[in-house]
Amino acid sequence: MTADDIGEPAADPPPADPPTAERPTDAPPPGDDGVALRAVGIGYAYGDLVAARDVSFAVAKGEVLGFLGPNGAGKSTTIKMLTGQLPPREGSIEILGLPMPDKREEIQTRIGVVFEEKNLYPTLSAHENLRFFGKLFGISDVDADGLLERVGLAGRGDERVSRFSKGMQQRLMVARALVNNPEVLFLDEPTDGLDPVSARSVRQLIREEADRGAAVLLTTHDMHEADELSDRVAFINDGTILALDTPEALKLQHGRRAVKVRFAADGVVQEEVVPLDEAAGARLAELVARPDLITIHTEEATLEDVFVEFAGRRLE
Amino acid sequence: MPVRVDLVKAIVAKDLRVFLRDRFYVLVTVMGLVFYVLVFWLLPDTVDESIGLGVHIPGGEQLIAQQAGAGGGFQIVPFESREALEAAVTDGSEVAAGLDFPEGFLEQAATGEETTVRVVLSGGAPEELRPALVGGVREIVAAIGGGEPPVALPTMSDVVLGPDRTGQQLSMRERMQPLLVFLVLIVEMFALASLVAAEIAQKTVTAVLATPTRVRDLLAAKATLGTGLAFVQAMAIALATGALLQAPLLLTVALLLGAILVTGFGLIAGASGRDFISIVFWSLLFAIPLTIPAVAVLFPGAAADWVRGLPTYGLVETIVGVTAYGEGWAQAWRSLGLVAVWCVVAFVMGLAVLSRRVERV
Repeated sequence: MTADDIGEPAADPPPADPPTAERPTDAPPPGDDGVALRAVGIGYAYGDLVAARDVSFAVAKGEVLGFLGPNGAGKSTTIKMLTGQLPPREGSIEILGLPMPDKREEIQTRIGVVFEEKNLYPTLSAHENLRFFGKLFGISDVDADGLLERVGLAGRGDERVSRFSKGMQQRLMVARALVNNPEVLFLDEPTDGLDPVSARSVRQLIREEADRGAAVLLTTHDMHEADELSDRVAFINDGTILALDTPEALKLQHGRRAVKVRFAADGVVQEEVVPLDEAAGARLAELVARPDLITIHTEEATLEDVFVEFAGRRLE
Repeated sequence: MPVRVDLVKAIVAKDLRVFLRDRFYVLVTVMGLVFYVLVFWLLPDTVDESIGLGVHIPGGEQLIAQQAGAGGGFQIVPFESREALEAAVTDGSEVAAGLDFPEGFLEQAATGEETTVRVVLSGGAPEELRPALVGGVREIVAAIGGGEPPVALPTMSDVVLGPDRTGQQLSMRERMQPLLVFLVLIVEMFALASLVAAEIAQKTVTAVLATPTRVRDLLAAKATLGTGLAFVQAMAIALATGALLQAPLLLTVALLLGAILVTGFGLIAGASGRDFISIVFWSLLFAIPLTIPAVAVLFPGAAADWVRGLPTYGLVETIVGVTAYGEGWAQAWRSLGLVAVWCVVAFVMGLAVLSRRVERV
């Protein structure tokens, strides 16, 4: 398997020259220091049910890779294999130059995970939760207040988690994932259940972590979030990766661009969408020339559109 | 690879905090301890082995007064009328049976004339009471008539095997002691099972195992906490009931083994249960057979063979042996050895089930 096959990241993401989905970004050689996480042909099955199959990709330091797919696509299973919760049945994983699961303990001291489930200790306070996990990482003096401040929970440290709203618990989970100042962050639906303001602050935090140099693997089924945060995105469906590239490249290569024209024909407002292809010019000129023209808007493809093209289904 | 002590300590401290934050656990634990100690000290520490025997014998009040102090296991109570005697036997609180002698019995007995004595029994009287009363009547008749029994009685000597408790049966307090200790252990088995199940159900175990903590560290922490909680409380009960005054080291070892045993079963119950009801179900499944030997002590007679095969039998035998009969290591080592084997079995099973469950979360 070559570096291209496994979707190695560009040395300086995002790349200047967007590649195609089939041919991912220019890849550094295997074992390059810039790569924080590399999965090659990994797979897992729960009994007869294949949850992930021949999954290959890499994430560079400082890069955010969005892992997009509907529920049951294999995102969480892939994260479980990468974080050492499940042993891959096939393929190999290398994190920070160390093989997983052989060097699981060493790797786990350097990674942070936000789980899909809100798995905090409800009867403990936010401080106690953070300090307990700090101890598990061998850190006796966790800056719990600093972490809580970063996720917008300053002053709430002594409250029991059971009194927190879902959004507050989600933010505390993000803070917990940062307890050990991780070099690789696995975020499974980190903004799920958050109000727009909280979601924005968590996204900002993720960006800050990537800017600090952490490699971030972000699973989500929110295409807008993936588009906003990710340097590259991978589409996963039925346990396999369908496409892997920068959001811009995917949209350019596979998304449909169009112009939406609204006009009032016989007093009734109508609209027409003209795809931007070779034949668009004449029809567009005809519409623009109409005296009853109301508005003209360009329409760019979304990642959702591109996903539908690849998977034949929507994300929800 | 060995467990990491720092991680085990951190998890134990966290679990203890979670335990103490749960009002239900704390309430049940504290109330249980207070209640069990109260029950122990309120129970009678002696056994009244005599049977109340009512007697109605017209004109024989003096004779009854002589017989009243004769002993023989009967506490004789005189009645002035047949009706009063029957009412007392029916009531059962003062006398368990009665002898109703006819008018002129003394004269008839002295002259050897045939007469009839009514033996009055309540419906629930034990079967052995009737022949005992018949024997008693014969004795009285012989005393009145001045006759001797028709045969010469042989000389008898008593041989008591083990500590002589003749006339000093195990009191209710002594009988209850193992059961009280067991109730504490069983409550802690529920508590541990609940803690383990909550960790699995809330998937906090997933978060813990995504850190450098290994399954073996987690298991060691759960086992330490479970054993510690059960042992401390069992010791508290033993101390409060005065059991520790006799052979303290032997009893401490016995209670430690008991704590390890219930922790093993608690781990199985916790790993098998998915919600409160299933935890209760699994815990009861283990609690009932584990408690049977302690309940068996409450009833006279030897325990059935299958009861002797239960994991806690050796423990109960040791506690009773030490507290009631003053036994030591020489008598207890076999029982404790058997308990130790059961501890290994329960613990290995508990760790295996929990390990499997944790890895599948």
